[in-house]
Amino acid sequence: MFIVTIILGCLLGVAVGMNLPTISYSYSGYLAIAIIAALDSVFGGINSILQKHFDIKIFVSGFFGNAILAMLLTYLGERLNVDIYLAAVIVFVGRMFVNLSMIRRYYIEKWNNKNKITK
Amino acid sequence: MKRNHYIIIGIICFVMTVGICVQVKTVDSLNTNSGVQSMAENKLRDNVLKAKEKYEASYEKLEKSMNELESLRKTAAADNNEATSIEEKISEANKLLGLTEIKGKGVVIELDDSKLVKSNEDMNDFIVHDLDLLEVVNELFNAGAEAVSINGQRIISTTAINCSGNIVKVNDEKLGVPFEIKAIGYPDKLYGALTRPGGYLELMEDDGVSVSISKSDDISLPKYNGVYQNDYMQVAE
Repeated sequence: MFIVTIILGCLLGVAVGMNLPTISYSYSGYLAIAIIAALDSVFGGINSILQKHFDIKIFVSGFFGNAILAMLLTYLGERLNVDIYLAAVIVFVGRMFVNLSMIRRYYIEKWNNKNKITK
Repeated sequence: MKRNHYIIIGIICFVMTVGICVQVKTVDSLNTNSGVQSMAENKLRDNVLKAKEKYEASYEKLEKSMNELESLRKTAAADNNEATSIEEKISEANKLLGLTEIKGKGVVIELDDSKLVKSNEDMNDFIVHDLDLLEVVNELFNAGAEAVSINGQRIISTTAINCSGNIVKVNDEKLGVPFEIKAIGYPDKLYGALTRPGGYLELMEDDGVSVSISKSDDISLPKYNGVYQNDYMQVAE
């Protein structure tokens, strides 16, 4: 059920995003890191829906909070001449993999259970 | 799961994909020449792009201030005879310096690299060089052109035209083929001077460069979008 809304949102997003103008190059780094944070939040959200402890407040605040924090860290890193955004990328992508594996495990277990019952 | 939760998830996904699309478009528009690049090279490219953006932003600011100054000057001069005449002098001087957009009669010359390059001949004969542009501009001024521009770059008293690999730099701006040279002046005279037998355009055409020239009654030239340097010169008493 939630997959339908996700796909619908993504399709609408592509339709609108392709018609928007490009942003200035100095800000593209910030947008990139915000996108990674957002992706992480979405995978986390899907995972928590499947584990049945989904909370909309945690989801929304995590989505915006993580994106903003990541951008701030990137800015700080640029000021300090340290690539802090790398740390953010590693954390977010690492979590993405964890969440993905949880999602995968959930569906495989479901499938296995189904097979057992039919046998 | 309540119903509005689904809507919020949809909205979040929407926001995310919009961001992704904008980012992809931005990156695509900047990294046109892909290939293997080293980190250092990428960083340099990064810096150049950022500096360019900064320059453009500053230039925009400067332009805005100039416009403001002009309108202020106009209002200040509105009810003062002396000031009005000075204002007129200033705008006349700006016109001559190439700091205002102008229009008038003249000729338009188009130069392009030859499409028919034979492999056993020298490539250099078939392309438009910086010296070709220099020669044409020189010829135009010699024939009494009052203002000339190449691909939107106004030729002013301190303009340099030089070679920079496979492109030509005019006013330090990189320009490529096809070149469109616009000149304001007495059209018949300009046209006659440039198309005379043995003239430079004929020589270029013989070499294989594609050349076209036409008279026009309505040409508009852009203004010089740089800054005049005057750090060292002083008025001699």
